[in-house]
Amino acid sequence: MTVPKSNYFTTASSFSGTLFEIKHSITKHFNLEENNRNLQIENIKLRSKVPSFLYELQKDSISVQDTIHQQQYHYIPASIINSTTTNRNNFFTLNIGKTQGVNRGMGVFSSKGVVGIIHAASTHFSIVKSVLTSDINMDVMIEGNGAFGLLKWNGEKPNVGDISGITNDIKIAIGSKVITRGGSGIFPKGLPVGRVSAVKPIEGKSVWKIEITFSEKYNSLENVYVINNLFRKEMIMLENENGEQ
Amino acid sequence: MGQFYTFIFRFLFFVFLQVFIFNQLEINPYVHIMVSPLYIMLLPFDLSVIRLLFISFFLGLFIDVLSNTFGLHASALVFMAYLRPFVFRWFAPRDGYDPIKNPSIFDMGNKWFIFAFGSLLIFHHLWFFAMESFSILEFLLILQKTLPSTLLSFIVCVILQTLLLKKSK
Repeated sequence: MTVPKSNYFTTASSFSGTLFEIKHSITKHFNLEENNRNLQIENIKLRSKVPSFLYELQKDSISVQDTIHQQQYHYIPASIINSTTTNRNNFFTLNIGKTQGVNRGMGVFSSKGVVGIIHAASTHFSIVKSVLTSDINMDVMIEGNGAFGLLKWNGEKPNVGDISGITNDIKIAIGSKVITRGGSGIFPKGLPVGRVSAVKPIEGKSVWKIEITFSEKYNSLENVYVINNLFRKEMIMLENENGEQ
Repeated sequence: MGQFYTFIFRFLFFVFLQVFIFNQLEINPYVHIMVSPLYIMLLPFDLSVIRLLFISFFLGLFIDVLSNTFGLHASALVFMAYLRPFVFRWFAPRDGYDPIKNPSIFDMGNKWFIFAFGSLLIFHHLWFFAMESFSILEFLLILQKTLPSTLLSFIVCVILQTLLLKKSK
């Protein structure tokens, strides 16, 4: 799907995007209660980190111009205007596009977990290749022991995924948290993906078959964020320069 | 000429129905209701094969554009339209088809419709899910999806006909 004009034939085109905008204006309130609760929970979490809400232990502290931290990730809020979760490959349509700075290859996540990667963007709309596709191959790791593998989806339940590539000499506890690894520079390290629900051996292979439960419910998802890694170009350039020799 | 406009209107109606109603239902991963094959089925008996293929391609393309399936519906509908003349010949009544009649359940009878449309629908769904997975390893998943989906699509298509059509004189 790398043909330049190919997004005329997806819901990222302005024709179908507008149609789905109309559909969305009708159906957007269907999951309102749950979505509001999720946003509220996220707000509380964020509020607890705002300095003015914390108790000051030391008065008259010296303010310092921050030269150590530089913003690496830029977040753009969006809402999903069309989505499927029961196809073999599921794509979500977002109501923002190139005018808001969305481009192919950026990550998409919600307050509870990762959602997918931008697949195509037009002027006002974009489509997300969700984690519910056969070749998403997102690099994830298990929190705690740092074992990493690739996230896959077998096409059946929209809340169950697989991780492949973790060798069976590493012990993995059921219930341990799965987070993004941040290796490809699309997602920052540590975004939640889900929890391990089953670890099974594969006969004749030295890797585990790991099943995870996604922490996000994709069939009632509405509010998401698009992540723009400001350093990604630099990272890819560096890797390509040194990789091709 | 009146019939021409009927088919244009029906074309848009089926795109709308498929994209905004049945694609949004999302019952579970194994059940996809597809009504677009009914449109191809209801095209007149004496339509030439080339026209039939073009119409099904454009119907599929319309649905694909609106549901992010990258040509899946188009390919499945063209495949079904290609098989339609063969299936019709196979189940032809003894004295051939009457071009005034429509290939609907009212004009051709229950038995003919169940066999002709049922077999076309199975081919359509099998092709659709096989192309969607595009992997022999997922053979079981393809069958698990095809059987319940075909059954439900068939029932919905029969109900749709009773709402849309009446027996032609």
